This record gives sequence, C-alpha cells and structure tokens, in this order.
Amino acid sequence: MNQPKPHDLWSRLTAAARSLDDDRDSSAPYGFSTRIAALAFALERRSVSLMDRFALRALSVASLVAVFSVALNYREIVALGAPAPIGVAAVVHDSEIFTYGENLAIVLDLAD
Amino acid sequence: MPDDDVLPFDLAGCLTRVRQSDQRAARDLVDHLYPLVIRIVRAHLPRRVQEEDLAQEIFLKMFTRLAQYQGAVPFPHWVSRIAVTTCIDHLRAQKRRPEFRWADLSENEAEVLDAVMTNADDVPANDAMAAHELVHKLLGQLKPDDQLVIRLLDLEQKTIAEISQLTGWNQSLIKVRAFRARRKLRKLFQDLQRTERS
Repeated sequence: MNQPKPHDLWSRLTAAARSLDDDRDSSAPYGFSTRIAALAFALERRSVSLMDRFALRALSVASLVAVFSVALNYREIVALGAPAPIGVAAVVHDSEIFTYGENLAIVLDLAD
Repeated sequence: MPDDDVLPFDLAGCLTRVRQSDQRAARDLVDHLYPLVIRIVRAHLPRRVQEEDLAQEIFLKMFTRLAQYQGAVPFPHWVSRIAVTTCIDHLRAQKRRPEFRWADLSENEAEVLDAVMTNADDVPANDAMAAHELVHKLLGQLKPDDQLVIRLLDLEQKTIAEISQLTGWNQSLIKVRAFRARRKLRKLFQDLQRTERS
C-alpha cells in the first residue's frame, strides 16, 4: 500500500482541524470591560502622577544646584557688585575684558 | 432589543471619547473588540496561559499605546497586530517545547494520526476535535515564529500579505519560516511513520 506523502498528511490533518466549529462564546465575560477600563485609566493616572513627582523633584534639584552655585561663587558675585576703587578701575576693566570677553575684544579690535 | 444592537458601532467617535478619558467609551471599545482579540488569543494560546489573562494584557497594551495610533491602518488591524505580537512574545517565553511522542496521544488522536498516515481518505468529520488537538501538538514542536506562520497560513488560511500586515515581518521572511516549518513537520511525520512501523 502506498503511504501518503507527509505534505498530504499535514494538509489533510489541517483540513480536518479547520472543520471543527468553535462554538465557544466570544463575547466579553461579565465585568471584563469594566475591569480593563478601570485598569487602563489607573495606569494612565499613575504615569501622570509619576511625571508630576519627577517634575517636582527636578525643580527642587535645580533649586539646590542654583543655591549651591551662588554659595560657591559668592565672593566673586560680591566683588563684581561692589564699586571698584578709582585707581584700580582701569585694571579691573581690562582684566574683565581679558577674562570674560576675550573673544569679543578680539572681534571688536578687528572691527576697528 | 436595545438600540446598541441595531446601530453600527461608531469606532471613530468611541476612540475620540476614550482619548478624552471617557471610561464608558473604553468599556464599549473593549466589548466591541473582544471577539476579535479572543479569536486571535484562542488560535495562538500558549500552554499554561489563561486566555482571559492574555486578552487583558492585549487590551491594556492597546490603551497604553493608543496615543501612537495615527490611523494609517484600520483600528481593528492595529489591535490584531498587538494581539499577535503579544501571543508570539508569550510563545517565545516558553523556552521548552514538550516532546511529541506517540504514547502521549489520546486514543482519538492516535486513531486520527493512524488514519491519516495509513490511508488517503479524509479524516472523518467526527474526529475534527482530535485532529485539531493533534495539529496543535504538532505545531508545538515548531519554533514560536514558525508556529505562528503555519497557524496563520494553514489553519486560518491567511495570505502571505495578510500575515505580513499582522506580524510586521516581510514576505520573504514569512516564506522562509513557512518552508522551514513544513520541512520540520515533514520530518516529524517521517519519524512517526518509522516509529509506527517499528
């Protein structure tokens, strides 16, 4: 007797499997949609509240960094804010140009 | 009869309301899409996974990714793709595949297999359930991706283009997977025939 080929076996088997009627109920079980909707919106709220929390944390960290940098550079800020002695004014002015505006000074020099 | 059963479902309107955090609309959307999702889940359900748990996971993914839906494809197609990829993730997570042995088959399954292998007639209609179980056991021997391709091709009779749309895989890859899976199934049948003869 000729044995059927493996490809035929598979196609006959799948044809038989396809002929099975799936008579199981395909409507959502009672309460399923309510549970999913509640879970979905709870997840959404949680992600929003996480954003809030991270945003507040970022704000406090930024404030701390700002305070720390002011404290660290307090002397220089005070020195810049205080009026310089008359004799030293030109020197301070030059050094300022040298330190803060070296590139700008070069550009202005070239422009002249 | 309630009006809801008569009027066609306004999917676009429902999606708009869901985006505005309307819980009632979200419930309606789940109820509307449940038959589609559960059909996919039942067709690709991995072992030891409850179909309702998997459906829940799919719907939650759908809601969390809703902002990404741009309307390029119909919404049910988009949800089907989420369902298929979630099923494939679960199938991949199952590292071990149970060994397929003649001795582990039920009486009906063994009869169907015997009938298929020894004569060229079609499987009797009353053995459809056993054939279905047998097909699933045989598919369980394949790699998850190959399993999915063969299920969609041979059981759900989808075209390569439809599978490509569902899975996001290109058509050549699907053909390669189908070829590889059929070769493995052929080998499985040959082994079974050898076992039966011996």
